[in-house]
Amino acid sequence: MQDYEVEFVERGDREARFLVRGITPAFANGIRRAMIADVPTFSIDQLRVVENSSVMFDEQIGLRLGLVPLTTPEGEFEIGDEVTLALDVEGPSREETTETVTAYSGDIVSSDELVRPADDNIPIIDLKAGQRLEVEADAVLDHGREHAKHQGGVAVGYRHLQQVEVVGDKGEFADDEPHILRGVIEDDGELIATDEFDNDLTERYPDKELAVEDVPNAFVFHVETDGSMTVEDLVVRAVDSLRDRADELRESVQL
Amino acid sequence: MSYKCSRCKRDVELDEYGGVRCPYCGHRVLLKERSRDIKDVDVR
Amino acid sequence: MELRVIEKEPTMISIEIAGEDHTFMNVLKGALLESEGITAATYDVNPEQSGGQTDPVLTIKTEEGVDALDALEDGAQRVVDKSDSFREAFEAAA
Repeated sequence: MQDYEVEFVERGDREARFLVRGITPAFANGIRRAMIADVPTFSIDQLRVVENSSVMFDEQIGLRLGLVPLTTPEGEFEIGDEVTLALDVEGPSREETTETVTAYSGDIVSSDELVRPADDNIPIIDLKAGQRLEVEADAVLDHGREHAKHQGGVAVGYRHLQQVEVVGDKGEFADDEPHILRGVIEDDGELIATDEFDNDLTERYPDKELAVEDVPNAFVFHVETDGSMTVEDLVVRAVDSLRDRADELRESVQL
Repeated sequence: MSYKCSRCKRDVELDEYGGVRCPYCGHRVLLKERSRDIKDVDVR
Repeated sequence: MELRVIEKEPTMISIEIAGEDHTFMNVLKGALLESEGITAATYDVNPEQSGGQTDPVLTIKTEEGVDALDALEDGAQRVVDKSDSFREAFEAAA
């Protein structure tokens, strides 16, 4: 089996860029698509509205709650599993001087500590004096292909790694137009993100004649998650989902 | 059906004979109150 | 995985793979085309709106003496190996 070579260019919990060498476009695209549509995450799917005296309809509140990313641990849950959450926020009392109280995602209380809002500072709604929002909600585990609120990857894509070679000097009277390039370039084996030189090759190689080429079978993935899991988890789960399907197919064919 | 009188703010129960009128102050504008039931909403 | 064989000859198979989409089918097709003994591999999917056949249909043609169903099994194994190998490399770098 061919071996892959993986190298991180930028790494964070929720956003990362990494280079993969020796990967076919078909496989790269399969992983990208699996990250978007096939890795399941929890999302609020049903509401029981006990009280909503806010200015918005129950359905609007529901839509906002559905879009709050919830942490989704690996291996603990199956598709369709439910976790109950609750939110109870009241506007300021009439004596208080503040005009509004904002209900934040951080006010959501979960019955399961494994599944809770990935961010605490997502505003849900402003409540004025006398207004109150009390809801109970069921979050369900499902795939991004069923509803975008279940997508774990929010900005997932890849570009070819690009090889930049200096082939000579620019002519004395050559146009000094910018040479815009985005992604990651390889220069003498060194990986450089193009934003390091303002995405303009003339900043890095002034007055040089350049040859830019895509490196075959080398892709730089850019992965950003909604916080329901780390980038590493998302990638591994996406690859595993492809693996599991292939394994299932192999077993079905054997019979 | 429970309503609230828009003038005197008192709760008003309407029956089919009384017509639309607040029994306390006679005002004819009544506001319908949200039901106290817990409402199920599908988030889809 | 639900499979339905539509047509089968020694060096050719046409098979419906229920519930899958481009995500898996294109990876599988790519892996099949890399394999020895396979002369052609393709799949066809109709859009949801078309009504009727919306599950992908995979068609494989193989060289003389290579059974098409065995080739499919090998192709699936190839995807498994690729995934394992990718995961290993990724986790080593991570």
